[in-house]
Amino acid sequence: MKRNAMAVSMLLLAAMLFNAACSAGSGAGTTAAKNESGSQSAAENSGMDSAHPIKVAVAAPMTGDNSEYGIGFANAAKLMAKKWNENGGCLGREVQIVEYDDKNSSEEATTIAQKIVSEKDEIAGVIGHFSSGVCMTAAPIYEENHVIEISPSASHPDYSSIGDYIFRNNTVISKEGGASVDIAVNDLGKKKIGIISIMTDWGTNTSGIIKGILEGMKDKGVELVAHEEVMEGSDDYSAAIAKLNDAGAEAVICCGMYNLVAPVAKQYKRVNPDIAIIAFSNAYSTQLLELGGDAVNGVCFPVIFFADSEEQSIKDYVDAYTKAYGAAPSALSSQAYDSVGMLLTAIQNVGDTDSEKVKDELYKLDYHGVTGDTRFDKTGDVDKAFVKVTIKDGKFVKMD
Amino acid sequence: MLLQQIFNGLALGMGYALIAVGYSLVFGILRLVNFSHGSVYAFGAEIAMVFIVSMRLGIIPGILLSMLFTGILGILIDKAALEPLRKKGSPPIASLITTIGISNIVTNLLIIFLGSEKRNFPNFFGHSGIHLLGGTVSMTQIMMCVISVILMLILVFIVFRTKIGLAMRASQQNAKAARMMGIDVNFVIRFTFFLAGVSAALAGVLIAGYYEIVYPNMGFMAGLKAFSAAVLGGIGSLPGAILGGLIIGNAESMAVMFLGSTYRDSVAFIILILVLILRPNGLFGRKGITKV
Repeated sequence: MKRNAMAVSMLLLAAMLFNAACSAGSGAGTTAAKNESGSQSAAENSGMDSAHPIKVAVAAPMTGDNSEYGIGFANAAKLMAKKWNENGGCLGREVQIVEYDDKNSSEEATTIAQKIVSEKDEIAGVIGHFSSGVCMTAAPIYEENHVIEISPSASHPDYSSIGDYIFRNNTVISKEGGASVDIAVNDLGKKKIGIISIMTDWGTNTSGIIKGILEGMKDKGVELVAHEEVMEGSDDYSAAIAKLNDAGAEAVICCGMYNLVAPVAKQYKRVNPDIAIIAFSNAYSTQLLELGGDAVNGVCFPVIFFADSEEQSIKDYVDAYTKAYGAAPSALSSQAYDSVGMLLTAIQNVGDTDSEKVKDELYKLDYHGVTGDTRFDKTGDVDKAFVKVTIKDGKFVKMD
Repeated sequence: MLLQQIFNGLALGMGYALIAVGYSLVFGILRLVNFSHGSVYAFGAEIAMVFIVSMRLGIIPGILLSMLFTGILGILIDKAALEPLRKKGSPPIASLITTIGISNIVTNLLIIFLGSEKRNFPNFFGHSGIHLLGGTVSMTQIMMCVISVILMLILVFIVFRTKIGLAMRASQQNAKAARMMGIDVNFVIRFTFFLAGVSAALAGVLIAGYYEIVYPNMGFMAGLKAFSAAVLGGIGSLPGAILGGLIIGNAESMAVMFLGSTYRDSVAFIILILVLILRPNGLFGRKGITKV
């Protein structure tokens, strides 16, 4: 009898977990379905071949903790697909975006990568995944099966060297780190630098790179006074901040996303209102302003995409994005937008979706997008010019 | 700096204490560790955000409504998932695992409806602070302590001075005998879940206001650490929950100061393991209770 009851309760639990998984999955499923029907009607109007669409996979966290990034990628990708479809599609075929939800977990990403490579005759390439660690578990699967992967966000140095089919439309962190240190030392004139970093592969690696750069500037009187590693999303950073402040830091480089920068700025300014806070381009998002409020005024960081740019093509893109999704695009979403554009342009130039030819074309491509002129080097990395941005009165402005 | 770290630790600990109270309430009556409590706490903060910021109902009505709704969520959880298990006479482990499942469901529902991003939560008490012996205590920290103590006094009053409290204690001692005396044990349990939900909502609102941040997954780590606090204080004991929370909060602050931020999150769980080995009943726990 007891065993029976146990079995029943286990079943119930399994059913519940399954339910939770389903409800999470169905959310993403319906958006994908909606998207497809939307683009189909566009296809009917322009007389494109929608029976043989070119499918581009967007694999990123659509649910869970980092879903805002994945949804941003998917939104940007759909916008780019719409742009192509309005102009007759790619190779006269309709462009379709297929979303995959990896929940920013390496395990899920592996399953998704295997699913994508099993359908590689239909899928022209993958835009994703989101975090460097997840990208690096999925990348070998894509490489082995000759599927093109362009990550709009991975910045770990080792990512793109995994293979020829692996690209990134984001600067390597060593270059961006140099730009952040440059802001702290040359633009703000700070000598005593502290680091606060999240305990992920990316965070630890980035803080190591920053340390190395600071080490090389010792002769200029620049000094690393303290380095604190914190758990991502622990919300309370006051203890680490008390240590940094005690060590006499004049500027703090925050190795983390907006969800680290905003609370650190708030909690640090309660202790020391004069602290200078420097971040990275992945903190460039309107959520930083919403979450940080007054405290993030004065936070500086280098970006390769700046939404308030004077350039007409960027203005048009930002307007279209804002109109469609109700908020200005973040830097990473914009990099996803360009990634889709580059992949489709390469396919158009080659006249075929054969991944080997498209890959070769990508290495030759000179793409002028909203995130600047992009050209992949031989490992699949990009080198872009940085714009230094700061926050003034609750708005992002260029640094003078 | 030591003093500042102690103040930080006390504020952090008060947060854990407020959540730990909810664990203790439910454990006291059901002998069940309710792992869905962390997500209920996140629900309280998120729903308060909806009332205060999106619907502009004002701070006090917003908090009260969120306490009411979160209390109802507690009742729903019991009604939908735990009561059927009790009726079937399932072993305690089944209820325990069920609460973990519920926790996932609540968190994912919040993500589906409100999104996973971290949002700004209004700070109620301003940023003014009092300088004390070289450290700074903020108004928010003081109010957190005051409100937590008031909440605890109210809970103690309910449990020891009211009729429903008498019924709660009776059900706790012997559910079968209580039922024979005409106590509606299921109602008492639902009431307990309601109280736990109310205290979780208050904890969520205060902590979200302190850090000025709110997001669906905020209950996961906080819930686990509050569980350690509840075990340290003696699970089932209300003053124990408060003391346990304060100790865990301060231990974390001290760990950051002397060992580095890297060790911070492990401290709560090291304490949990040590307590379970050295003093399984916790600081205030009664002896001889059969644990789940």
